[in-house]
Amino acid sequence: MKAKIQVLLCKCCTEQPALLDVEKLKKLAEESNNVLSVLTVAGACDGKDLSGVTADAKLKEIDRAVVLACHKKDINPALFKAYRRAGVSEFLVDIVNIREEAILPHRDEPARAQTKAETMLKAALARSAMLSPLSKQSEEMKTRNVVIVGAGASGQAAAHEAAKAGVHTILLEKTGKTLQAPGVIMTHAQLIGGSGYGGNFELKIKAGEKVEELGAAAVVVATGGGWTTLKGLLAKAVKDARPLYKFYEQMQAGNTPAGPIIVVDTPDPAGKTLKVQDYAWDDTLETVIELKKRHPTVEVYVVFQEMRAFGLSELAYKQAAEMGVKFIRYDKSGMPKVDPKDPTTIIVKDFSHGELLRLKIGTLVFASIPPNEDNKAIADALRIPMSTDGSIRRGSIQRWPVTTPKPGVFVCGSALFPKSRDVAIEEGRAAGAMAGEFVRRGKIEFGGVVAQVTQEKCSACLTCVRTCPYEAPFIGTASKAEIKVQACQGCGMCVGICPSKAIELHNFTDDQIMEATRVLLGGDF
Amino acid sequence: MKKVLVIGGGPAGLTAAKFLVDMGENVILVEKTESLGGMARELTCKGMAECRNCGVCFAIDKASEILKERNAEILLLSEVASAVKSEQTYSVKIKTSPRYVTDDCIGCGKCAEVCPVDGKAIFAPTGSGRPMTYWIDRSKCLHFKRAKCVKCADVCPTKAINYDDRARNLTREVGSVIYATGISPIDACEMSRLGCGILKDVISSVDAEKALNRDGRLLRPSDGKAPKKIAIMQCVGSRSVKAGVEYCSKFCCKYATKISQMLLDLDPEVNLDFYFMDLRTLYEPQDEFKQWAKGKKTVRLLRTMPAEVSLGPDGKLLVRAASETDLDITESDYDLVILSVGMRPSGSDTELARSLGIATDEMGFAKQGDALNQNRVFVCGAVTEPMDIEETAIRAVATASMTREKKEEGG
Repeated sequence: MKAKIQVLLCKCCTEQPALLDVEKLKKLAEESNNVLSVLTVAGACDGKDLSGVTADAKLKEIDRAVVLACHKKDINPALFKAYRRAGVSEFLVDIVNIREEAILPHRDEPARAQTKAETMLKAALARSAMLSPLSKQSEEMKTRNVVIVGAGASGQAAAHEAAKAGVHTILLEKTGKTLQAPGVIMTHAQLIGGSGYGGNFELKIKAGEKVEELGAAAVVVATGGGWTTLKGLLAKAVKDARPLYKFYEQMQAGNTPAGPIIVVDTPDPAGKTLKVQDYAWDDTLETVIELKKRHPTVEVYVVFQEMRAFGLSELAYKQAAEMGVKFIRYDKSGMPKVDPKDPTTIIVKDFSHGELLRLKIGTLVFASIPPNEDNKAIADALRIPMSTDGSIRRGSIQRWPVTTPKPGVFVCGSALFPKSRDVAIEEGRAAGAMAGEFVRRGKIEFGGVVAQVTQEKCSACLTCVRTCPYEAPFIGTASKAEIKVQACQGCGMCVGICPSKAIELHNFTDDQIMEATRVLLGGDF
Repeated sequence: MKKVLVIGGGPAGLTAAKFLVDMGENVILVEKTESLGGMARELTCKGMAECRNCGVCFAIDKASEILKERNAEILLLSEVASAVKSEQTYSVKIKTSPRYVTDDCIGCGKCAEVCPVDGKAIFAPTGSGRPMTYWIDRSKCLHFKRAKCVKCADVCPTKAINYDDRARNLTREVGSVIYATGISPIDACEMSRLGCGILKDVISSVDAEKALNRDGRLLRPSDGKAPKKIAIMQCVGSRSVKAGVEYCSKFCCKYATKISQMLLDLDPEVNLDFYFMDLRTLYEPQDEFKQWAKGKKTVRLLRTMPAEVSLGPDGKLLVRAASETDLDITESDYDLVILSVGMRPSGSDTELARSLGIATDEMGFAKQGDALNQNRVFVCGAVTEPMDIEETAIRAVATASMTREKKEEGG
């Protein structure tokens, strides 16, 4: 069947910068194969002018469209709606970003802008004729469980907010501490494995000695920092060195710490990870101020590479300095180390004066919170990406905050990087609210641009199964790879890596891409 | 169901409003200016080949999305005159100024071209603000003076000019109030020793963002040529007792490092010097910026604060600064100097804020508190403490969720 294409030019994007010869573009479109109508609209983004587009598409029985406009995200919803009314699937509407890709880069060279715009139009038309209609499906969530991993400050906050959406919260806590939170609380429980996708996860949870299976619609990762471990040269050299939180607890309990007190940013200054602490300084500054208030005579040194006293913490930084806390900045040329001859002394080069300082150690405290060691197991179970230092990586802010790249998995608190308590609680609330809202809808949408396996070509080599970041491919009953459509996000990694070329991504097939590339490179059209 | 009033149409207000609408609540969003987006309107997307997570698009997207929601009443050019608490609700009086341009506007800009007023009386929305509908400043427009000028109405292709638009006073009943009036940037010209306002080629980071957002490139204001040597200076106005801004504005390092990377992407040849006190790049625990700078031959990171910017003999800008070791003084010349300005809270100390029971701290930020939340007033966003768009979005979602009553399980 022959394709029937409508070409739509957005005036705002093509005429307004007065660079392009729009008439020429129009003529080119009109004379092309398969193009039944060429229209212009004043603004494709605001949706006001689009009724004419719908009417024209209906009249000429258009089945696909190429739109010359700007950034896809801006014009998407209104435009797709207009085409849906005319019975054109959103997967057959191809948006060409003429403004940002042709006009803006070649502002001083109108001729080049024109050539590029024309070539882009040709390539889009060539590809558009080959697109096939796709559809989206939906699936009910089997449970209304939100599983929250970690019951620290942010985990508890997440449970409270998620419960407001009317979902069941299940809070997993590694230790046996007693908590006040809505929903089910499982102590001595750890997430050890899992499968599935956002909306329908199957999680394996080790509770005490037993291993339980648990269905979940959404997961909130709130593992916090790795409080218990101290690794690094300084920690090894000084026996009773302690992390900041322990020091704070001891101080609150009324113990008088032995002076002078030296706070170093990390136990492993020369190491690759954890050179800079983000929010950890908020707590550090508060602690040294409290310490100085209780024991005004004790000597306090804070040794750091980068003082990240964000926002109002700057006031605490100033206050601490005024109270007599000494701040020493070091850099690579003078890392703090314990004197080999005298293990009770620390040597560090002050960056601003270039002077070598020798500080007597009364108590050595580390400001850093290393990433939680459980992150690896949890990231493996949920198939979410990690940073190189071992913390969980957050998703792009382009979508929503506190998300991960995997839909249905949310992350908050020090699992990302060190946070102060206040920020961790706010993030926990946000993650709980997002998870609650995700589950409240009760169903997930999937399909559209997803991968598909041509089973005859598949040799069941498992490459796609290992590559996929979303756990979508699996070996089915026919001993060939299949794609779990609900999990597929359409990234195309399996397509690129498949040695038998057995996988294709809908609407980004080899033929379609090759045809568009051929035209872009000046092939016949 | 009780409605929620959101005051302020910046990143915080928009995110909160959108999340509330998604949860099925009814929202009234009141914005003082003519379009939604707040500070984010004038900021630029800082990604070139890859996304740099600056969050600007997030705020603008939320503005586009909320305008299409049926459960959100968007009141632009409006101010809350008063909010009186009765037992369970607030009775809110809202004053809306006339826009004189209807929703039929397609933003073609023909009206502004023909407007005879010096400096124009009909304007496009600020930056990338949404909606893109124009608006008329009554105090400047000749139609409302003796001339009865109708040039814009004559030229408008969609007949969107409506001179009969009237100011309106609205009354609404709401259950909760989210107060998110945001921030205003510090005027870089408060620091005259750095040449702002005196030397043409010394611009503030807000000007740089505006130019990058509008044109996709940055040119020297004096001669319109592409600068080859650029200095970026941090902490202008922030961390300064003199400016009355003793706190760190938190987001300046974030945006300035991302602008630096963007400038290098645009022109890999450009020489860039980055002057700073402490490098506080938010959400970069691994110090990605330093690693990036190390790999670029044309980028220098200088831990020192410049003392003075003056005009050199050949028209270049001369920057005097102590060397990193504090031992001697260096002089370098530049084509363009960008001053990274911080922020002050905006609207935290108004009559309305006081009548809602919002108190401020010593730096002028609005204080959050349980007592306030008990009264169903919630403060969120950068009006409470310095924060960037991402943290603002996080806190706005948390705040939106907190306005809800607790439901029974399974309800």
